[in-house]
Amino acid sequence: MRRANAIQKDQTEIETVEDLTGVFESLASTQVAKIKTKVELSKEFFDLIWSKYSLIRVDPKSRITQRIRQDNGKNVFVVISAEAGLSGDIDQRLIETVLKDYDPKTTDLIVLGSHGAQQLMQRGIRYTHYFRVPETDSYVDVSPVIKAIEPYKETKIYYEEYLSLGTQGIKKMDLIQTIHTMSDSTNDPDDVIAETDTVFEPSLEEIADSMEQAMMTLAFSQAILESSLAQDASRFNAMAVAKKRAMELVNFYKLEFHQSKRSESDRRMREVMISLKRKKRARNNV
Amino acid sequence: MSNQQLNVIARAPFELYFEGQAQVVSAVNKIGKFDILPGHTDFFSLINPCDVVIETDNEQISIPTTNGIVTVRDDQVMLFLNL
Repeated sequence: MRRANAIQKDQTEIETVEDLTGVFESLASTQVAKIKTKVELSKEFFDLIWSKYSLIRVDPKSRITQRIRQDNGKNVFVVISAEAGLSGDIDQRLIETVLKDYDPKTTDLIVLGSHGAQQLMQRGIRYTHYFRVPETDSYVDVSPVIKAIEPYKETKIYYEEYLSLGTQGIKKMDLIQTIHTMSDSTNDPDDVIAETDTVFEPSLEEIADSMEQAMMTLAFSQAILESSLAQDASRFNAMAVAKKRAMELVNFYKLEFHQSKRSESDRRMREVMISLKRKKRARNNV
Repeated sequence: MSNQQLNVIARAPFELYFEGQAQVVSAVNKIGKFDILPGHTDFFSLINPCDVVIETDNEQISIPTTNGIVTVRDDQVMLFLNL
């Protein structure tokens, strides 16, 4: 059996790990709540801006489709992974899903997040662009990514989806299709804002361009937020498991420590008894 | 002074700045500074970098803005800011 002070040293170390995982767990939980609010706000914002946009165009859907598709003959997959680790196996599942659909002859890869880029490199898969995941705490700037996808005929975004705090999945979306779906709730077709009764400054065309850019950015930002939400939830789960394991280890070390202490005490008692017996024997022999 | 008020919503993609009644909304577009008061004609404009100012009965709210879109229709003002 190990010595009691060696066990106590291990126990202290594991208690530190337990405290740290508890802090990470709490941070992840706070982050989940914060991002959930942001996701809801951005959905509301999209609905509002779409409701105005659809009033100035007869067929806004076809206009957006034409705007995005420049067609260099290839498709692009945009993979949104985590910037840091400690989020369980969710990035690994994401990359596995991407690779099931990926054909290097027809498709290029754009990666957001160093964790995903690292996983692709480990598998010997080349990507055309890498971007850091934009900060979700403040403004989500996705303009460099939007610029990078412009030449492609089809854009699919692969990202981690938040289903619940306990469950996260992998989702893929067609960017254009998503904008169509998000805009399903259209206004009354007779309710149109026209240049005859409304002042447009600087011009209707420039305003429509600006709104389209905003909606594209928003659809992308929502995927990044959703992904960030899933990663934080996954991190929360990974930390909860680690904390539970650390608690089990602490309990085990406590038990081992008491067993060791008792064993030391028993040994001392035995030594005392043997010593007493020896002394008694010696006295009898005299 | 008219009792008429504007119904204003001012928001960014991830933030609601203001929702409620106001007397005046001021901002800057390509042509210059403009004010929106109750009864304003229907209006659709891009907003240039400026501080968008919303004046209510009790306070004046200033929102630093890098870009945005404003729509006015039947005294309903929608400000989509910092896109």
